[in-house]
Amino acid sequence: MKNRPLFLLGLFLAVLTSWAGFVLGSHGQLGSLTPFFDEADGQSHPARLPGLAARGQLVYADLGCVACHTQQVRRPGFGNDQARGWGERQSVARDYIFHAQPQLGASRLGPDLMNLAGRNPQAASADDLHRLLYTGSAAHPAFPFLYETREIAGESSRHAVRLTGTTAPKAGSEVVATERAQTLVAYLLNVNTGFEFPEARPLPAKSAASPEATK
Amino acid sequence: MSHPPSQAPAAEVSPFDAPARWPLALLAGSALGWLVLSSLLALVTAIQLHTPSFLADCSALTHGRAQAARETAFLYGWAGNAGVGLGLWILGRLGGNPLRALNWAVVGTVFWNLGLLAGMVGIATGSMTGFAGLQVPRALQPVLVAAFCAMALPGVLAWAGRKREGTYAAQWYAAAALFLLPWFWTATQAVLLWSPLRGVVQTVAASWHTQSLVSLWLMPLALAAAYFIVPKQTGKLLPGYESAPLAFWTLIVAGGWTFGRHLIGGPFPAWIPTMAVVAQCLLLFHFLVVALNFRQLFAGGSLTLQYLRFGLVAYLLTGLLETITSFRGAAVHTQFTLLVPAREQLALQGALSMFLFGGLVYQFPRIFGRDWTLPTFVSGHHSLYMLGVVISVLSLSWAGLAQDALLNHSQTPFAEILAQLKTPLLLHTAGQFALLAGNLLLLFAFLRSAAASCCREEGAVALRPASSAS
Repeated sequence: MKNRPLFLLGLFLAVLTSWAGFVLGSHGQLGSLTPFFDEADGQSHPARLPGLAARGQLVYADLGCVACHTQQVRRPGFGNDQARGWGERQSVARDYIFHAQPQLGASRLGPDLMNLAGRNPQAASADDLHRLLYTGSAAHPAFPFLYETREIAGESSRHAVRLTGTTAPKAGSEVVATERAQTLVAYLLNVNTGFEFPEARPLPAKSAASPEATK
Repeated sequence: MSHPPSQAPAAEVSPFDAPARWPLALLAGSALGWLVLSSLLALVTAIQLHTPSFLADCSALTHGRAQAARETAFLYGWAGNAGVGLGLWILGRLGGNPLRALNWAVVGTVFWNLGLLAGMVGIATGSMTGFAGLQVPRALQPVLVAAFCAMALPGVLAWAGRKREGTYAAQWYAAAALFLLPWFWTATQAVLLWSPLRGVVQTVAASWHTQSLVSLWLMPLALAAAYFIVPKQTGKLLPGYESAPLAFWTLIVAGGWTFGRHLIGGPFPAWIPTMAVVAQCLLLFHFLVVALNFRQLFAGGSLTLQYLRFGLVAYLLTGLLETITSFRGAAVHTQFTLLVPAREQLALQGALSMFLFGGLVYQFPRIFGRDWTLPTFVSGHHSLYMLGVVISVLSLSWAGLAQDALLNHSQTPFAEILAQLKTPLLLHTAGQFALLAGNLLLLFAFLRSAAASCCREEGAVALRPASSAS
């Protein structure tokens, strides 16, 4: 360690190789992924997020939903994501190319939020999500600051949350989703991995069973 | 390396340390302030785990934001300030000259802390970046890097202008940490904030950064403190010291590669988690050498050495657990469960903080020229902190194991999972409470001792004109 510049150069090179290898390396591998054009339905997949949903991603990020929820389905056989109905296939990098900031998450104190709208049998609806966000549950905090309670003036708002029982507002007033709540819910209903990309198909179990082998 | 193994040299400050007293005290004091704030936020987030409605009405303290604020206060506020203070001091001492450019360090420290404070307000009002480990709002991040460069300047100058040709392990670790952070932080900002890469590559870059923060910045500063203090306190040479360069370079080269263990099974190239396994196995050499170097710690000794001993045990355990969980067969159980925060607690509260506490407790009397005014508070902190770390690591592991069984091997609804985890999560809260109480004790002891030293100095200054007039 006597050679002063060499020491600092060594440090610098160590970090540079690590950064270039991992960050630039994975960018080289995944950065130029394009949507997949499916000739069967004449559409490209994945679709861009609608504007409302793209704004909802910002709300999702600034509330830190990622602290308890993931948005990545693991492959069949690794964990039991399929048994929980979170998605038939694993998430792949192409699913996220139109996400301004993918919210993959690292903790599952709550359920995974991929494919919320397309789940079978319990697909979530906008109403369910608004109710959960407004009232909370035993396992989920409420976010009342995303909603405002106000007097019904004339017709009731089309963004009013349908509430019953003790959480319902008093007669003559209504709980209305603010713009932030609307965009958040639009986002949650639009994050999906519905289309099966070629790279997302599980490898065939035995190569002998594949058509090429039997030819 | 000549101090006797006994306690601090009472009321004598080397001429090297006298000018650095207040800059270093500023760093240590702000570190302890952030520590208390982060443990307060940790208590809030711990309560929210078993009672989700706790403070949920308050948008600033909703779980996601409180978590981001806690992490920022801990990493950048507490560990950053404390580590830099120790690093500068060690580089000055071993460099053989008084620290130069200390004005820069003071200005840097002020801007660093103001920037972080503004960052906390930003996080509370929803401007966090959304990348774990890098949550400070984007506009403030260049300010923090610039402030850090100013803070680190005296250290780099002391390293470059050192008197002796030979160097010590403590110097390598401290110089590397101070030198490397601005490089990799700027690189991360470029690819995440200013010209964001597309899709999941962002997650790769963010994880790489978080791992580098710990492996290339904070842990080296903590290890520098240990390498500096242990031989001085025990009065003996470190056994196996000739292998220390191996430990150093393994950590610097492979430390940052280990982030892939968090990305197993996700939409990432498979070679990233595989490289993490390789890196973790390489790092076993690092942990082995560190264990050999510091084995005298198990012989017991002063309070400083007790802090370091706990830190060492936690550090070695972390290394072992991280290696095991980097394999896919183990990760399928630990991933996404509370076992991840349990290990993080062990690494950051157990290893990192304990090394830094050891450093601060040792440094304080030597820059102030007086012993702690309230030594019982300091040893109280030691006991409470140990207790808190043990309780919260064990309870989170318990909760994590139970969660793995329910989450990954059954279809139990989430409300029920949380109900079943209630007991360990309550225990975890108790652990966090102990940590907060301990940290308050240490902050109070620090302020009292610093105030006492300050009054004495002012008294001395006030006496001088009077005596010259008479």
